[in-house]
Amino acid sequence: MIEQLPIINLILLLTTALVIPLFKKQRFMVTLILSFVVLFIVWLSALYLLYHVNTTGAFYYRFGGYSPTIGLELLINPFSALFTFFVITLLMIIFIYSTADASDGIHEREYGRYYILMFILLFAMFGIIYTNDLFNTYVFMEILSITTCAIISIKRKKKNYAAAFRYVMLNEMGSLSYLFGVALLYMVTGYTNIELVFQGVQDVWVIYPTNIIIAAIFMIVGLGLKAAIFPLHIWLPDAHSAAPSSSSAILSAIVVKVYLIILVKVLFSVFGITIIEALHIPSLLMVIGAVGIVMGSFFAIAQHDIKRMLGYSSVAQIGYIVLGIGLASSLGLRIAFYHVFSHGIMKSVLFLSVGAVIYQRNLRKVTAYNGIGYMMPLSIGMFTLAALGMIGIPLTSGFISKFNLGIAALDGGQGIYIIILVVSGILNAIYYLPIIIAAFLRENPENQIYVSKDKVPLLMIMPILILGAFIVIIGVYPAIIFDLVDSAVSTFSF
Amino acid sequence: MNLVNDILAHVNFIGAMALFVIGLYMVVTHSNLIKRIMGINIMGTAIFYFFIAVGNVEDGAPPLLDPDGNALTFINPLPSVLILTGIVVVVSITVYSLSLVVRIYETYGTIDQKEMAQIEAEDDD
Repeated sequence: MIEQLPIINLILLLTTALVIPLFKKQRFMVTLILSFVVLFIVWLSALYLLYHVNTTGAFYYRFGGYSPTIGLELLINPFSALFTFFVITLLMIIFIYSTADASDGIHEREYGRYYILMFILLFAMFGIIYTNDLFNTYVFMEILSITTCAIISIKRKKKNYAAAFRYVMLNEMGSLSYLFGVALLYMVTGYTNIELVFQGVQDVWVIYPTNIIIAAIFMIVGLGLKAAIFPLHIWLPDAHSAAPSSSSAILSAIVVKVYLIILVKVLFSVFGITIIEALHIPSLLMVIGAVGIVMGSFFAIAQHDIKRMLGYSSVAQIGYIVLGIGLASSLGLRIAFYHVFSHGIMKSVLFLSVGAVIYQRNLRKVTAYNGIGYMMPLSIGMFTLAALGMIGIPLTSGFISKFNLGIAALDGGQGIYIIILVVSGILNAIYYLPIIIAAFLRENPENQIYVSKDKVPLLMIMPILILGAFIVIIGVYPAIIFDLVDSAVSTFSF
Repeated sequence: MNLVNDILAHVNFIGAMALFVIGLYMVVTHSNLIKRIMGINIMGTAIFYFFIAVGNVEDGAPPLLDPDGNALTFINPLPSVLILTGIVVVVSITVYSLSLVVRIYETYGTIDQKEMAQIEAEDDD
């Protein structure tokens, strides 16, 4: 029975997406309750799988019982179980928020469609994380990119269409580059199964280095484009700021991370540490990550629209994760994974609390936040907490990430990156602190006038508070996450 | 002569690479949105071509059940099967982006990237 759980999860998510349109005539509440029940069941099964793999070990699910040489398989190990659990937990909390705030620019008739997209999105992310096959990853990746574009263009606004079109073009270039890489690997190894490709690549590395080098370049650039790694990030701020608040949180906190997870898989499970070190990919990734950290923050300082600013801040934070991956040690990977969690939670809080401000007062300008802290103490309070986490103040999860990333860099003999971390902390303070200071210390009676709704509903505040609590909890007791992350890291060999 | 033979032996791969670059060039440089979608399609076709060329075996028979039992080598059918999936994926991407272009035409009144950027800049003022 346990062996069937991953496929049951996938089927459950897909059927829910197909069933939601049938409830069009019913009250909208029916859709919401059904969605929540399904999400909760999947959450329970993801939690059980996480417990199961950490106690009894990894297992495979083979479609139709075919051997991996000709069939597809799902691999459920501490790594995939941990990240599916992360995705479903965060998505469930954001879902609660979206039930109250679906109104953000989406036509009332299309609320249902929004949840259809959300379930297909979740299905694709689960597929990507579980699958142990390169071509299958490509197919899930395309499902994911169409749904993310659709979730951006669901708002009927000019800007959304333009942002979605740019996103779909760049995403497609990324996926096709990845597919070219898969083709080149298939050419020399004859398989698409990740473990068999890994074996094949080690064997033929000496005979056909050209194929493997070109495949590595294509796959890393393609995934970098989709994960918005620094010089390839141009689509991210537009796309993430144009989307409805809850989808911005999903896109920034989860979807981008999924591509980074594929990147980790490609680097360490497909090519293996010896080959990528021979190609100097880790040191290249480290430089790219460091430049991304600094430049992302610089761009963020220049923004007037708060959601665009958060988008650029994501570019900088992705830099941390890339830096961690680039260290190519178990310490570095460990902290990269931790930061996936920590950034996911902090960025969701930031986007959701800004979403609450937009919901009640329709303020998007950074300069318009004067005195708002007294009018919306809970939302802005949580915004402050998450912003302090981004800067790296102790007791928040952001501090643990930076501190351990510094240690990992020193351990890898790359002490220079500590300077980057310090500089980035200062840069983050430059663009987050003025908002906080303005919100709590300046007076602006004009803001009273702009109230478009009386109160932010409890369903919007609660998820923000829960996530805010997580920032402190995993900041004070990082061991909760580190235990799980360590067993995930141990699935990669160094 | 060696070079010519090399090119002839790998003409499929060179062709696929050339198509890929042509498609990429179209996506990156053209400002007409429909042409950019065409560029994506050409890129996709290049990869399908490459995949099928990888599966080809010289003098191989089509991988069908052979009643006479004469054929010794068969063409690898797996890449062709993978490509069927790939074609479906690229078609759906094309459909989605074309429908997006329809919406862009309805709201902006143009399908040219540069004119769109101009309209956006005017809106911001």
